[in-house]
Amino acid sequence: MLGLEYPPIENLVEWPNYFGDGQIWALNKIGIISLLALIIPTVMFLVSKKELVPGGLQNIVEGVVEFIEDQVIMPAMGAQGLKYLPLLLTMFLFIFFGNLFEVIPTFQMPANARMANPLFLAVLSLVVYVSIGFKAHGFAFLKDTAWPGFVPVGLRPLVGLIELLTVFILRPFALAVRLFANMLAGHILLVTFGVLCISVFTAGIIVILLPLTFGMLVLLTAFEIFVSFLQAFVFALLTAVFIDSSLNPAH
Amino acid sequence: MLNPVVTQISVKAATFLLAAEEAPGAEEGGGGITSSPIWPSSSEMFWGILSFTALYLLVRFVLLPPVQRIRNDRAATIQADKDAASLARSKVASASAEVEDQLAGVRGEAQVVIDEARAEAEAERQRLVGRAEREVNAMRELAATEVSTERAEALASLRPQVADLAVGAASRVTGRSMQSSSVRSKVDEYLANPSNSN
Repeated sequence: MLGLEYPPIENLVEWPNYFGDGQIWALNKIGIISLLALIIPTVMFLVSKKELVPGGLQNIVEGVVEFIEDQVIMPAMGAQGLKYLPLLLTMFLFIFFGNLFEVIPTFQMPANARMANPLFLAVLSLVVYVSIGFKAHGFAFLKDTAWPGFVPVGLRPLVGLIELLTVFILRPFALAVRLFANMLAGHILLVTFGVLCISVFTAGIIVILLPLTFGMLVLLTAFEIFVSFLQAFVFALLTAVFIDSSLNPAH
Repeated sequence: MLNPVVTQISVKAATFLLAAEEAPGAEEGGGGITSSPIWPSSSEMFWGILSFTALYLLVRFVLLPPVQRIRNDRAATIQADKDAASLARSKVASASAEVEDQLAGVRGEAQVVIDEARAEAEAERQRLVGRAEREVNAMRELAATEVSTERAEALASLRPQVADLAVGAASRVTGRSMQSSSVRSKVDEYLANPSNSN
């Protein structure tokens, strides 16, 4: 109907390998995007000048660093969290540039619309905040989580179970799924409106709806750029919050 | 008219999102086409871990330190400038206070000088006025003396003539000559001291 040919859904997110079929180093579009998410911030940092009066790219680079300090670390952890700046900055940059390829022509696919990177980053976050908890409090970190002293004794088994599930499963699961689902939904939304534009354009009188569908496509593209930033920010911020909760469990 | 199209897309999207189960062995090439869009691809995770780890190491040891260094330098420079400005401000305030003190001292000294000058001027004025008064008095006395002298001289010069007139008038009245020296001496005596006559 209306000449609408929606692509096979797998084709929206799964990409053939460029080389290495059957090997773990098989490289497809997602791998390329991951490499670009490494290369682009590296080049940005290396190319930017290091002058007392910043300008151009240096403004952007220092702005990103200050943003992570002032909007992620300080609100969530205070000054004690500044030593985690490299980790949180890396998370933000890697996720943001991985997401941004959703709106870049020829790619038009966010790396985090595949589960691999979100899952890895969520597990990394789990490992980091649990390690920090054990380093700061030793075995008491696990004991206080499983047997929380701030609730009545009768409720401790139930609350302890919930806390264990929360800390070790729900937090990383929520981190991974939030990032993955948001980017996948945005990607499908953009594809859907792209297909709608093509279909309406070739469907006779219905072409009068083209400004509407195309306008929505443009708006959604801008919105997805915002979502790319927002998801990177949320992931880094939640990781900072989880690290802080490991350092200061009483909070 | 578009409803069936939208429905078709929605159904496909929902099917896609719910297709969480992956058939065993469905992944092709360890990272290529998989049957489930949710199940993570090992090769994609490999490149993700590799890229993230490399980025983290670069950020930590290569990329971030120069940025932090220049930010710290800038903060130190700004702080130094602020300190210098604060120091300069305090110096200005100190110098201003010092100038005010000096001005107050100078004003006091000036007042003393003015008072002394005023006193000296007053003394000088008094002295000059006194001298002027003395001179005036001296001149006045001199003038009075001169007037008195002139008056006496005038009287002395007029006296023979008055005597002559008086003698002449008396001679005319009496009808006899009174040009004798005795009469003349009596007239002179009278003119010299009119109050002692009779």
